[in-house]
Amino acid sequence: MKALEVRSISKMFPGNLANDNISFSVEKGEIFAIVGENGAGKSTLMNIIYGIYTPSGGDLLVNENEVKIRSVEDAIKLRMGMVHQEFMLIPRFTVTQNIVIGDEPHKGIFFDYGRAVREVRELSERVSLTVDATALAGDLPVGVQQRIEILKVLRRGAEILIFDEPTAVLTPEETVELFVTMRKLQAEGKTILFISHKLKEVMEIADRIAVLRRGKLQGIVNKKDTNEEELARMMVGRNVVLEIPKVDVEVGAVAFACHDLHVRNKRGYEAVKGMSLEVHGGEIVGIAGVQGNGQDELVNAMIGFSHPVSGSMELNGKNMRMVTTAQLRKEGMSYITEDRGRRGLVMPYTVRENSVMGQHLGRPFSKGIRMDYDKVGEFAEGKVKEYDIRPGDVYDTAGSLSGGNQQKLILARELSLPHNFLIASQPTRGLDVGATEFVYRKLLEEKKAGKAILLISLELSEILGLSDRILVMFEGRIVGETTPDKTTEEALGLLMLGVGIDKKVQS
Amino acid sequence: MSIIQINLTIAQMLDYTMPILFAALCGVLSESAGVVNIGLDGIMRFGAFFGLLGAFFSHSPWIGLLFGIAIGCLVGALHAFITIRWNGDQTVSGVAINVIAVGLMTYLLEYVFSTTGYSPQIQNYFGAQAYRVHLPFLAKIPLLGAFSNLSFMIWFGFICTVLMHVLLYHTVLGLRIRTCGENPKAATTLGINVFRIRWFAVIVGAALAGIGGATLSISSFSGFSDSMPNGVGFIGLAAMIFGKWTPFGALGAALLFGTGQIVQSIIAVTGIAPKLAPGLTLILPYVLTLAVLAGFVGKSIAPAADGLPYYKEQR
Repeated sequence: MKALEVRSISKMFPGNLANDNISFSVEKGEIFAIVGENGAGKSTLMNIIYGIYTPSGGDLLVNENEVKIRSVEDAIKLRMGMVHQEFMLIPRFTVTQNIVIGDEPHKGIFFDYGRAVREVRELSERVSLTVDATALAGDLPVGVQQRIEILKVLRRGAEILIFDEPTAVLTPEETVELFVTMRKLQAEGKTILFISHKLKEVMEIADRIAVLRRGKLQGIVNKKDTNEEELARMMVGRNVVLEIPKVDVEVGAVAFACHDLHVRNKRGYEAVKGMSLEVHGGEIVGIAGVQGNGQDELVNAMIGFSHPVSGSMELNGKNMRMVTTAQLRKEGMSYITEDRGRRGLVMPYTVRENSVMGQHLGRPFSKGIRMDYDKVGEFAEGKVKEYDIRPGDVYDTAGSLSGGNQQKLILARELSLPHNFLIASQPTRGLDVGATEFVYRKLLEEKKAGKAILLISLELSEILGLSDRILVMFEGRIVGETTPDKTTEEALGLLMLGVGIDKKVQS
Repeated sequence: MSIIQINLTIAQMLDYTMPILFAALCGVLSESAGVVNIGLDGIMRFGAFFGLLGAFFSHSPWIGLLFGIAIGCLVGALHAFITIRWNGDQTVSGVAINVIAVGLMTYLLEYVFSTTGYSPQIQNYFGAQAYRVHLPFLAKIPLLGAFSNLSFMIWFGFICTVLMHVLLYHTVLGLRIRTCGENPKAATTLGINVFRIRWFAVIVGAALAGIGGATLSISSFSGFSDSMPNGVGFIGLAAMIFGKWTPFGALGAALLFGTGQIVQSIIAVTGIAPKLAPGLTLILPYVLTLAVLAGFVGKSIAPAADGLPYYKEQR
């Protein structure tokens, strides 16, 4: 039986056809993947199916009956549930409160919290997804937060589950766990729609795969009849190099060095507990680690956002421990951020303005207090061409660009600054195949040009593919150093979780 | 000071506290749902004038109170219409309401009563002996004696605090209100109508601000003064923040600010500090407000989506 059928669905946003005449059907008990690059229209399509957006045209059928889904309430009544890309959790509420909102156990108008807790515990036991029903959602790791999301939709009796890029925030171990859960749900007869742009995962979990490109359905394939390369080609519309080529460069002098660095986090706890590392010219040093093990604080200290409590930090032989970000940049530091919205760009500003930020003071972009916008414009036009930033109008705001193009804009700016040390902090987070490939190419070009590069990433394939040396970070310390040819994803994954580390080293 | 004097001082302190408390409760409810309402000072001014108007013509403070509630709802609906229906800027809408309230009430005062500065005094107000809540068994107990003879509005303030606490933390509706203030998108994905909840919270909140205004003109005082509410609405906002957006926190903060007011009037009346310029003591409650906010704001966390308009189809 067809659990869900989509017939000629279109969705028009102002100036953008996000979904163009899309039709497919999903069998009951099937894991159906929808892949596509960022901005291909996957999330829009899911939001239509789930009643958050109203389609501009087309029909939806659930269990072979035509339905109108005008609101999320309608979707929930039709036994659909969605696990969103950004979790729909309220950090200040307990796990139980988060799970029951919208369908609360109650006595009259009063919320029956005690019964809610019992119901959540029963449910979590029945589907064996372990959660602490009374913990605050905000205190839990992302893997557990996702479990809360899944429990939330199961409690509402969902038969069709939509997972919108569920692995984007998970560690490799958590991803494995999620897939086990998904298989179990499938075995219970649930229908699953799995949205992703990670082809490896899609090939592992899906039965059938639909590929979207620029709002259009490119085709639907059976997993057993396809492979990653074919999917990538369908997604991007051309051949993509998923393998990262090896580039050998002679290693130069030490560009950046820190010794016994201690850094406190915002709440005043020591998050970096004595790190020492060196990055040489022509070398990519990768830092692997599960999110929240001190990487953010390390980067903050390195870019001058916070000052280390103790330890030394040198850039090109000069002491840089208590200096400002401006001084670090002057000395030759560039920084590609993972957080484009908050750190990389000023979203309401134009491409033109963003392209010179940081070098806008002084010639050639300003004279005295006056900005020379002709020069800025010329520069921006050049960069837009060189980096193929689309749609290519320098008067567009940064916020109107897609994630990939935003990242290209950041690269364009940071790599055009005079620098010999580059910090790349999760440089491909949230990017699709095409944009990721672009970032890799640029990083390797930098390496060829003899720059020193520190790569901080949660993606092990990226760390293994790009780095010359790999440092594993766990609880604010380096717990292992290796090279890509001497290790595997599995071995790194265990180190990242602190498995097999000598207790003496830790204490 | 004698026991009687102490009791009177406490009662007067509560008279100062309640308008601040109602304003703070308005803020707590509205902002818990994610809508900032800095227009509540203006709504209090509406409430103060219309409360007096109702009481004046009907000779009953109860009708005055209903007038205060009605005008509060009405102005609240305006704020909701601008900020929820049309996603207008919440600060701009609030400021506009404050500005309108200043001019319109001055005009109406002259138009209705043909006076400037003060409305005629009324006999039937909640502060009058006939309208007080008499609890003679408390009169003999030290300190609690102050509670033996209070205006109905003071008890109503305490009741509203408890009701608000129950609403926000023990009812289904309260959980949903707080969800809308923390993460409206999450609320939508759970099938909650964010717009409806926000309308409710803004209007009921504004009704409380209207009550707060009426408390000034028909309970704490027996008439409308053109300077009302004299910044009480803003002190109420401060009390809301200091009270960490919770009803009981707001009560505690309002009591503190009320104490500041009474200390100021004691200094002024007794001439303890004759060297000070007479106007200078008047700023004491406001200095206290500033000091408290500067010291505590950092530790007090607003609802995550407070003040943000909600667009359902935002990309």
